[in-house]
Amino acid sequence: MGDDARDDNVIQMPLKEEGQADLEREDLDALREALEDLRHEIRLRVPDPRTSEPKALDGQSEIDFVALVDGLRSRLATLGMREWTVEVDDFGLDRDLVQRAEPLLDWMQSVYWRIDVVGSEHLPEDSPALFVANRAGILPWDGLMLSHVIRGVAPRFGRPRHMLADWLMTLPFVQSFVTRMGGVRACRENADRLLRTGRSVIAFPEGAKGATKTFRERYRLKRFGRGGVVRAAIENGVPIVPVGLVGPEEAHPVMFKSHRAARAVGLPFLPITPTFPLLGPLGAVPLPTKWVMVFGEPMTPPLPADAAAEALVISRATASLRERIQALVEVGLDRRASVWD
Amino acid sequence: MSQPKRIGITGLDTEYGIRLAERLLGWDDPPALVGLDLNRPLRLAGRVDFYPVDLTSPTADVDLAERLAGEGVEVLIHLAFRSSPTPDIEEDHELETIGSLHVLNAVAAAQLSRLVVASSTMLYGARPDNPNFLSEGHPLRGHPDAHCVQNRIEVEHLLSDWSDRHLDTEVTVLRTGWTLGPSRGNYVSRFFEASVIPTVMGFDPLVQLMHEDDLIDVYEEAIRHSHPGVWNVVGREALPLSALIALAGKRRLPIPSSVLYRMSKISFLEQTGDRPAGFFDYLRYLWMADGERTWKEFGEPVYSTREAWSAFVSSRRLQNVR
Repeated sequence: MGDDARDDNVIQMPLKEEGQADLEREDLDALREALEDLRHEIRLRVPDPRTSEPKALDGQSEIDFVALVDGLRSRLATLGMREWTVEVDDFGLDRDLVQRAEPLLDWMQSVYWRIDVVGSEHLPEDSPALFVANRAGILPWDGLMLSHVIRGVAPRFGRPRHMLADWLMTLPFVQSFVTRMGGVRACRENADRLLRTGRSVIAFPEGAKGATKTFRERYRLKRFGRGGVVRAAIENGVPIVPVGLVGPEEAHPVMFKSHRAARAVGLPFLPITPTFPLLGPLGAVPLPTKWVMVFGEPMTPPLPADAAAEALVISRATASLRERIQALVEVGLDRRASVWD
Repeated sequence: MSQPKRIGITGLDTEYGIRLAERLLGWDDPPALVGLDLNRPLRLAGRVDFYPVDLTSPTADVDLAERLAGEGVEVLIHLAFRSSPTPDIEEDHELETIGSLHVLNAVAAAQLSRLVVASSTMLYGARPDNPNFLSEGHPLRGHPDAHCVQNRIEVEHLLSDWSDRHLDTEVTVLRTGWTLGPSRGNYVSRFFEASVIPTVMGFDPLVQLMHEDDLIDVYEEAIRHSHPGVWNVVGREALPLSALIALAGKRRLPIPSSVLYRMSKISFLEQTGDRPAGFFDYLRYLWMADGERTWKEFGEPVYSTREAWSAFVSSRRLQNVR
């Protein structure tokens, strides 16, 4: 019996297999179709993350669970992977982070602060330039946005590096975030190195004095450091582009400064704004004021003839630069009907 | 000037002292080495002229001067510094500062033509108001809580005063950043060996690292040819601390600065940890040095920060497997 059975098997095998293969092929086709449908369905519901606009504050009423689960899953799969590819430049700019923040910056430029750009035709043709603006606001939104706007209107400058007040470097979380976004501590060594290596720089020569101007004197420019900006431009042979910023001041309107409270928490000053410290960390969210950025004609500071005249030439150039920026600020103020539009 | 024939090394029995000596003995025309240290390094037995010298003894300068003059040493490299800080403040001061003073006196008495001194870029101090790249002209501000750093600053001040008075001796100061590699290492490498690395919460500075082979290359070049002046010896490129830790597959343990500093102070004084309280400032603020000048003069480093780090990490992985 055993032999017979074996013979039967041998003969029947190919037949049976053929039938099975057909069945499998049908199953597979059906499965493939179903999968294709499912994929189509998912694609309809889940927008491609690479092409879709960010929906940060759109006020979406219903939660897209498919997208949510998908996002969670991909985040779980890449947990801790992002740092593996981290590439920063010598000043700590994280290209990956900036790229991901770009849609948000675009949104803040066009929707949140509705930034008007005036005089972008004045921007010089050659790449490294030293942008000089009035310091406005406490957190470095002004530098971040100015650098973003410049990249938009004149890509030849890349993303100019904005200079930051010293005290930001002492703040936890803020320090690592602002340097990754392209901020650099304000000092001559850093500016020189950036300009020497062909990268444009945004400087705020009013320094910390400018950041803490109270609301009443917000558009009156303070003293411009000790002429370091003009010196940097002369020594590196780059033009200075004056920029007037209107708006960032009102994003964090400083009503008054409290020195006593500041000493208690170890900060150089503690600005009191309508939202800070009343609302706690929420007070760090800037108000959606209307911004205007006015670019002036680039100026090339005159080369001092001799060492004796140098100090005076530089202080004269600094004073005229300050006047120009003050004039640009007035232009920006005239363009606005009010703080909000 | 042709390469020196007789070379002195103080601090021969240190990691880098031994490796440097082996490198120098590998020259086509091997020089005579005069080793000066407390203990005789067994690895170099029979290949160097060794003299036991205790730099903390009151007459160390006289002994040293005799040896240097008697052996006809042309170049001395001073490496006799502690690789890891000690909580014994007095002892630290005796060896680092007073020991260096003895060396300087002996060099003056023996009238050597060249002196090379190892220093550190940690001497600039990690401060929030540092520029991103410190040049050699930047003041040495150090750290008030790290006496090992403060002592080395004193050494540099002594040295610059001394070289003003002894113009016949060319002085080369090599300020090196954190140096890692497969060798035994020091308190910095021990810190980075752990699988969980405490960091200061909210701070993620750029870190510059150098491979020890590059350091030995620079030492060798400083001895072979004359390069007077102060030089920052650092690796190319820099990575954020968080990226380094992630690259190594280690974990970060962010601790608020107030807690972390207090903890490290206690553990250092109780001698359960070998990092001074100021150490964490170096993981908090920037203290990167500008090595451009040095790379031009001494040659390009072989390893970048990332490569030095992966060489270090992979060597430690093998140790753990064993």
